[in-house]
Amino acid sequence: MTSIAVDWTRCEGHGICARLLHEKISLDEWGFPLIDEPEVEPHLVKAARQAAMACPALALRVE
Amino acid sequence: MTIIDNAHAGSVSSLGTPRLLAGVDQVGHVDAAHHRALHGDPVLRSRAWLLGAMREVNLLGRGGAAFPVATKLEAMPTGSSTAILVNGSEGEPASRKDRTLMTAVPHLVIDGALVAAHALDTQVITIAIHDPWSYESLVRAARERPDADAISVVRTRDGFVGGEIRAVINGLNAGVARPGGRRHLPHTHGMSGRPTFASNVETFAQIALLTGMGVADYARTGSPVEPGSSLVTLLGDVVRPGVLEVPNGTPLEMLLPGQADAPVLIGGYHGTWTRAAHDLPLTRSSLRAAGAPLGAGVIARPFPGTCVLSEVAAVSRWLAAESTGQCGPCFFGLPALADDMQAFADGTGSEAQAIRRLEQVRGRGACAHPDGAVQFMSSAITTLADDIRVHRLHGACGRPPSAVLPLPRSAR
Repeated sequence: MTSIAVDWTRCEGHGICARLLHEKISLDEWGFPLIDEPEVEPHLVKAARQAAMACPALALRVE
Repeated sequence: MTIIDNAHAGSVSSLGTPRLLAGVDQVGHVDAAHHRALHGDPVLRSRAWLLGAMREVNLLGRGGAAFPVATKLEAMPTGSSTAILVNGSEGEPASRKDRTLMTAVPHLVIDGALVAAHALDTQVITIAIHDPWSYESLVRAARERPDADAISVVRTRDGFVGGEIRAVINGLNAGVARPGGRRHLPHTHGMSGRPTFASNVETFAQIALLTGMGVADYARTGSPVEPGSSLVTLLGDVVRPGVLEVPNGTPLEMLLPGQADAPVLIGGYHGTWTRAAHDLPLTRSSLRAAGAPLGAGVIARPFPGTCVLSEVAAVSRWLAAESTGQCGPCFFGLPALADDMQAFADGTGSEAQAIRRLEQVRGRGACAHPDGAVQFMSSAITTLADDIRVHRLHGACGRPPSAVLPLPRSAR
């Protein structure tokens, strides 16, 4: 099963992941990603990889 | 930054016969000759013997996480590429037990490190300490004996998060005492990339006692589920403020006479406020099961008739300032939460806002600091619900502020 995780030491709160993967990621009041359920459903895997590649801080991991 | 008010230091004593602190009552500091007279030479055992003995006495790590030491040891490869790391970076301001151990019985710590090194067939031993007196004590002790040449005693940076084991390792490897982003564990990526058997100073002292006494004698005191003794730091309205060696399984009631339903902080500033501690035995398993893990071994009870909320707010402010700033939810969330805790003390706080923020910070950092701070604050909100109500009705409670939780001078 594919899952997503944030490297908190890298994340700078750009918020791009929440736009590209809004099904899985929302933002807290300081603009940092909130992930309720890290496991990614098969139809969202492609979007998850795109969000990870778009992260300017390389903080979103898909594994 | 980490100078602790001496008024908080208290005494050093034991319930029952001292083991870790044997000899300390008479002289305060046990030198090499006195140590040999009490304990003899360190008893070196094989890895297999040590694993079996640790399992029999259910030896749990004394740094805070209470991880089974045998499990950690078993995961280690043997040989000269393996490193031993003795963590004496006691960053918890409320705890004095590690500093007490290092200044009073440094040779027991060294014995334990040598026992672990022998079992893992290595000579690479580092003892990492930030407190200057503890550092001095270990350096002097290592010079006093012929078998400690391979041990390097190093000063680390202070700071609460800096005492976390992975932060200590990063500090020694790269000069920056912060936990890394990925959760690499020391047993695979430790000192200079070596597989590292890392644990707290008290764990190593316990290992020395275990091989020295043997399983049967070691298990003669303590609880059947957790034989042996533990060092705790007692603060405030307690049987004896200071560092105390207690047999595991001692009823907390003995440490906290009277005031059965008063709020008690267990574990330290990453710990838990509770009113249900009184009836529990002091074992790591029972306290964990009760939702109030022993953590760094701190047990603090404010005096009756004092304002606990104001002290909770002060500690929360300090916790926020201790964020190393590398993870956003911790760096932004903890100061916002410290404001929420101050608002409770000022009678203007909102539980809904604080609880929402607590949930936003929990689990969202590279180390245990945000989770520990959230545990401290969320348990305070639950345990001090009546106090929060009184403050909201009257703007304050009119009682003098509680002052049992030490903070570095700059934070008060």
